[in-house]
Amino acid sequence: MNEDELHDLLKQKYGFDHFRAGQLEVIQQLLAGQDVLAVLPTGTGKSLIYQLVGSVVPGLVVVVSPLISLMQDQVARLNYQGEKRVAALTSQLDFGARQHLLNHLQSIKYLFISPEMLSQDAVMTALKLVPLALFVVDEVHCISTWGPDFRPDYRSLGALRADLGQPRTLMLTATATKRVRQDILRQLRVPDAHQILHSVNRPNIYLAVASLSDEAAKRVRLQQLVTTVAGPVIVYFSSKRQTDLIAEWLRDQTGLRVAAYHAGLSTEDRFKIQQQFMAGDLDVICATSAFGMGINKADIRMVIHYHLPTTLADYVQEIGRAGRDGQPSLAVILYVPGDEALVRNLNELTAATPNEIEQDYQRFIRRQEPTDEVSQVLQYYWQHHATVAEVTVLFATRTEAKERELRELLRYVTSTTCRRAVMLSYFDEVAPAHDAACCQLDGEPFPLETLGLIRTVAAVTSQASDWEKALARLFLPNS
Amino acid sequence: MFSDYVLFLFATQPRRAKGIFNVLRGRRTVSTLFAGLTYGCLDQLDSWHGVPLEKFIATAAQLERAGDLVSPSPGYYQLTAQGATRQQTQRALRYQPVAMHVFQTTDVRRFAALSQLALQVVSEAAHRENRYYPVTTDPGVQAIVKAWFRRFHGPTLGQTIYEGLQAFLASLPDELAQIFVQSLTGYQFPGQTDAQLATTFKRSPVEMLVIRRDLTCRWIIWLGQHQTDPLWALLAPLVKASPVSSSAQRTFQDFLQAGDLEMISNRRHLKLSTVREHLLEVAILTPDFPFDRLLTKTVSQQLTTIFTHQPVLTSWQFAQVQAVMPQLDFFYFRLFQIMRCQHERG
Repeated sequence: MNEDELHDLLKQKYGFDHFRAGQLEVIQQLLAGQDVLAVLPTGTGKSLIYQLVGSVVPGLVVVVSPLISLMQDQVARLNYQGEKRVAALTSQLDFGARQHLLNHLQSIKYLFISPEMLSQDAVMTALKLVPLALFVVDEVHCISTWGPDFRPDYRSLGALRADLGQPRTLMLTATATKRVRQDILRQLRVPDAHQILHSVNRPNIYLAVASLSDEAAKRVRLQQLVTTVAGPVIVYFSSKRQTDLIAEWLRDQTGLRVAAYHAGLSTEDRFKIQQQFMAGDLDVICATSAFGMGINKADIRMVIHYHLPTTLADYVQEIGRAGRDGQPSLAVILYVPGDEALVRNLNELTAATPNEIEQDYQRFIRRQEPTDEVSQVLQYYWQHHATVAEVTVLFATRTEAKERELRELLRYVTSTTCRRAVMLSYFDEVAPAHDAACCQLDGEPFPLETLGLIRTVAAVTSQASDWEKALARLFLPNS
Repeated sequence: MFSDYVLFLFATQPRRAKGIFNVLRGRRTVSTLFAGLTYGCLDQLDSWHGVPLEKFIATAAQLERAGDLVSPSPGYYQLTAQGATRQQTQRALRYQPVAMHVFQTTDVRRFAALSQLALQVVSEAAHRENRYYPVTTDPGVQAIVKAWFRRFHGPTLGQTIYEGLQAFLASLPDELAQIFVQSLTGYQFPGQTDAQLATTFKRSPVEMLVIRRDLTCRWIIWLGQHQTDPLWALLAPLVKASPVSSSAQRTFQDFLQAGDLEMISNRRHLKLSTVREHLLEVAILTPDFPFDRLLTKTVSQQLTTIFTHQPVLTSWQFAQVQAVMPQLDFFYFRLFQIMRCQHERG
């Protein structure tokens, strides 16, 4: 298929006149039969790549995806675009529905699946019976960042891919350092994959950090930001509890339409909040990082981190939800010295000491069930015949890596020079020259006026309306 | 609050907490059903499906610490004077569901999922919109709704659905009608979450959960009475004629015809104890069960005499019976208890 034909297809199927940066190149490489590792900045329409390739190449497109919520979002989005032959194989499906899906894979075009589900024998057996158009690993950096001590099934993907007959493979991410890219290619056993790398830089997002003295000052600053800076706004937290508490507090204080969003919500509530946000019915979403991986709202003006992100790569992913329309946007971290302790605590949740590893191995030998989440992860290694020494080294390396990541993040947070330069150097990139729209240098105020980010809309509070009118609006077209 | 709804389940007589909670979680063993019958909470069978037992037990313990419940023996709780007063005041404040018994015969959760997508599809179609995010991506739910929509699709479907809902909602208090409509998802209307509705209507989130669940049950009853509504076609396959399990139902039919339990046991290749369990299940869930076909007058009289001075039938012990009638099987004692309970309730 030549370039003109691909452009025609883009116009006819998706209504776009132009490919975004990187899309065409990746599609062409894939159609030429190459495996591709694509690092494309957030908001470049990565899913369009496998959709378009899937519409040209016969067979099933398998998309390995890290989160159930993300898979559901992706299925809903494909449904939205009119693609019906799409399904997510998740633990939320009951046994019958799962079997039905596996028996009818030939009528599906796009299958979303987690690495854990893919490792199941019944799933692999069913997949081997259908031709594969493309094997996609979405958010592929998870192999390196989540694999060792959180989602070890990510480490099996290379073997599973080989078992599926080495189908043409697309590895997608918005953020991967050189080290992570090497790890991905090694783990997936695709050393010759073609790499298409684009800058992670999003020049229209102004970068800022507010250094504050304590938690109370943080809240005051948060309130001040959401009431003075243009929205819509996402505020990220690292705990569900804080997300709920601050959302309620913010709603009470400001009268703005604020909702909390995290993995503790039901599927129905998650859907409703996402759709309210998309429809402009919410001013602020307080969320854990579960929110937004599948969100494609172009006009988000501000992303605030109430708690520190875990790594700079995560930070780039999360702020990447702002300003997809190309208009100026703002990314702010609210930082109180000592906040890094929270990141360390979270890191420790998945860590294990040599002694704990040895004890867990003894548990495995005694054929006892895993005792907690760390034990579940270790179980994977024991089942895959790893030795205690190997696992100990792996966990120690991972702890070191996390500490290194945290230092890099703090280098960004506490920087007194151009933050963008610090951020991009982490990805081995050189930053463009600093200017007033780039980032906030130490002590400078936000140039809200220059950026056109001053809040103008008055707060709207939601009210109950007459149910008969609302019902009529839902079902009667002319009311 | 959740603890209020747990408090509503207890009385001044001791009740076995696990028995009550298993009723709410939808366990259908004979001992659970019997607990539901004697504690008067059988109408809530299965209505708190999915809530872990630990959460109930922890809440009961919390009510005990707060002085509302007291535990006379391990696993049992009863209301204190303070608890009884609080139960009364909270009952007046908190929403009291009226239609939870629907859970006994209908797969309410499945209908909630199907109807939510069906109403969204109808609403979007009424506005000729075919690009929208479906409220669920569950392939089973999507397939059923798709087949339903193909069958009923037409230029007047939106109007028909509107009229049905309008008629149903007009029969409810205004607040409930508001909540029902605000929670729907459709054309340019994502709908409100329970938490948002709770804020708007100044109710607690758990109360909103109870209200929404009860509203679904009330709607199911309404649809059962208006079977020309297109949504009845989605609901009908989820409704059973009786709360009794189909195997127990079959045993009961055999019993009505043959009468002899040994014979049924042989013919159906069931243990005699299973046949008896089936009949107990039917007796608990069927107020007009023909008790006199199993309990002879003599047995009934003897049992009546044993428990003459014990009006609270949950205090009856089988050991008391064995002391007088050593040959009598537990089955007949339990059946007699169920009969008395049904009579008291009737």
